[in-house]
Amino acid sequence: MSITIEQNKMLIQMIKEFTANELAPLDMDIDSRGDYPDGLFQKVVKTGLLGMTLPREYGGADFDYVAASEALEKMATGNASMAVTLEGHFKTIEQFIKYGNKALNDKYLPSASKRIFAFSMTEPSGGSNPKGIATRAIKQGSNWVITGDKIMITNGGLAEVYCVLSKTEDDQLAIFVVDKDMPGFKFGKREDFIGLKGVPVGEVVLNHVVVPDSHLLGVIGQGLEIGDNAHADARVLMGAVLAGITEHELQTAVSYAKERKAMDTPLYQLQVTQEKIADIAIAKQNIQALYQKGANDKVAGKPYAEVAAMAKSYGSRSAVAAGDKALQILGGYGYSHEYPVEHLIRDARAMELAEGTIEKMNLEITNAEIAK
Amino acid sequence: MKIVVGIKQVPETDSVKIDPKTNNLERSGIQGIINPFDKNAIEAALQLRDQAGGEVVLLSMGPDSYTSSLRDGMAMGADKAVLVSSRAFGGADTLATGYTLAKAVESIGDVDLVLFGRQSVDADTGQVGPIVAEFLSVPQVTFAETVSLESENTIIAKRQLDSAVQDIKLTLPAVITVRKELNNPRYETPVNMKESFEKPITVWTEADLNLDPSQIGQAGSPTSVTNVYAPTKEVKKTTILPEDPVQAVSELLGKLD
Repeated sequence: MSITIEQNKMLIQMIKEFTANELAPLDMDIDSRGDYPDGLFQKVVKTGLLGMTLPREYGGADFDYVAASEALEKMATGNASMAVTLEGHFKTIEQFIKYGNKALNDKYLPSASKRIFAFSMTEPSGGSNPKGIATRAIKQGSNWVITGDKIMITNGGLAEVYCVLSKTEDDQLAIFVVDKDMPGFKFGKREDFIGLKGVPVGEVVLNHVVVPDSHLLGVIGQGLEIGDNAHADARVLMGAVLAGITEHELQTAVSYAKERKAMDTPLYQLQVTQEKIADIAIAKQNIQALYQKGANDKVAGKPYAEVAAMAKSYGSRSAVAAGDKALQILGGYGYSHEYPVEHLIRDARAMELAEGTIEKMNLEITNAEIAK
Repeated sequence: MKIVVGIKQVPETDSVKIDPKTNNLERSGIQGIINPFDKNAIEAALQLRDQAGGEVVLLSMGPDSYTSSLRDGMAMGADKAVLVSSRAFGGADTLATGYTLAKAVESIGDVDLVLFGRQSVDADTGQVGPIVAEFLSVPQVTFAETVSLESENTIIAKRQLDSAVQDIKLTLPAVITVRKELNNPRYETPVNMKESFEKPITVWTEADLNLDPSQIGQAGSPTSVTNVYAPTKEVKKTTILPEDPVQAVSELLGKLD
C-alpha cells in the first residue's frame, strides 16, 4: 500500500469517527435550530479539519482532492451542512494556492487552518452572470478601494476572509481579498434558506474598503477565470456531498424497510420497495463515480470542469429524486420531521442552485460537448 | 518527562466474529485498530507532556502490520514509536509479553512513566501493565481514573473501587493503567497524520534487547489459550401476566400445566 493510500485511509477513518461521534448525533438538531450548536464549529477547527487541503508550508496537511472529496462524502453521510461549510472553505483556499501571489499567501494562508475563507461572486442583481457585477474596485496609488454588495455567500458571517469579484474602472473583472476586520466591511443579513440549515449563507457590504495591491488574487482581468476555476473545484466537492446525502437517504430507507412490516411482510421483501431501494443505491454509485472522476482528473492535472458540472447537475437531481423515493418508503414518517429524509431532500435541493444552477451546469456540459 | 505508552493493536471491536467450525477468531479482512483503552493512556500522556514538557514514546509488540496503530497514535500527537517485532516473540502469553516490554522500556532509557490501557478488548486480561511494573521494580497503580502531576517526580492517581475511592501518590518512575473514564481521547488531526509518516518507528528484535531467551515467546509462556469459542446464547421466553390477579393466576396455572 502506498504512503498516500495509507494516509488517505487514516483520514477517512478519522472523518468517519468524527462524523459518527460529533456530527451525526446533531444532524436533526442542526436542521431544526437552523444553525450549528455552540462549540461544534470550534471542535472542527480544533481537530484541524480546516487545514486538510492547505499546503504543509502554511501549516496544513496538504491532502489532495481525492482524499478531501471522499472525506466530505463521509461527513455528509452524517451531516451535509458541515461538509458544505468545509467545501466553501476548501474551494477558496484552492484559488489562493493556484493564483495567489507570495506576499498574499504568506500573509493569509497560515491562518487558513484556524479560520474560514469564503468566495463571494453573487450580487443582488445576478448570480453567475459576470456582466452584472456592480462591485467596483478603484485604484488609488498602491491601493484599491472596493465598494459593493455581495450576497448568498456560503459561510457568509462565519468566514473571516473573503475573495470578492469586482470590476475595475476599465470594466475588467478582478478578485480582491478582503478581511472582515478592515474598515468599511460590514456583515448584512443571513438568508433564511429551507435546507443545509447549519451553513450560514449571508451578505457582505463593502463601503470603501481599502486593500493593498498585494490583495489582488491573480491579475486584473483574471476574475472570471478564477471564478470558473472556483466553481469547478466546488462542484467536485458538492458531488461528494451529494453522494453522502444519498447514502444517508439509502441507510434510512433500508433500515426502515427492514423493520417495518406490511401485511406481516417486511417492506424490503416487497417488489415496490425493492425497486426504490435499488434506484437510490444506483444513484449513489453514479454520483460517486462522477465526483471521483472529477477529483482524480484534477489531481492528475487533466481537465475536470465538465465532469465536475456533471457531478453537481446529476448529483443534485438524483439526490433529490432518491430522497423522494426514500420518503415514499417511509410513508407518513418520511413526511415527518421525526425522520431525516425530508431535510435530506431540502439539503440536496440547495445544490440544484448553489455554485451555478443545474441549467447553467447543463449549458456548460453542452458547450463542452459541442466544442469536442 | 519521558512517557512510554504501551499500546496493542486489536481487531475492530464491532467486526469481530468467531468461526463456528474452528472456534477461532475470524481475523481476515478485519481492520486492526488501537485498543480503545490505550487511546485513553495516549491522551493522558499527551496532556502530561503538554503540561510538563518532554516526549511521548509509543511501544508495541507484534508483527509489522502493527505500525499502522503506532502511526495512529502518532497522528494523535505522540512523538515517536518503538515496535518490538520478531518471530522469537510469537506465542507470548502475558508474562512473556510483560517481560519483553519491560526490557524494551529499559532499552528506551530514562523513562519516567509507563502508561497502559486498563486491558485489551480482545484478550481482556489486564495483566500486562502490572507485569511490566513488576519486572521494572517500580510502583504501579491500576484502573486509574485521574492522573495528575503533583511535582516533578510525583504523580497522584485516583482509583474508583466498589466502596471506596483511593488517592495514591506515586514516586516516578512508575507504571499506571488507566480506565476510559480518565479522559476523552483527542482525534487524530490531518497534519499529525502526515507527520506520523515522517516520525521514526524504531523496530527492535530480540537481538536489540538485553533478554533472557527462556523468558520470551512460547518458551517464556507458562500459560496458553487452549480454546476460544462463542458462548451458546440461551433465549428464554418471557410472558407478562395481566394486571388483574384473577386473570393472572388463571393464566399462570395454564402455563404450569
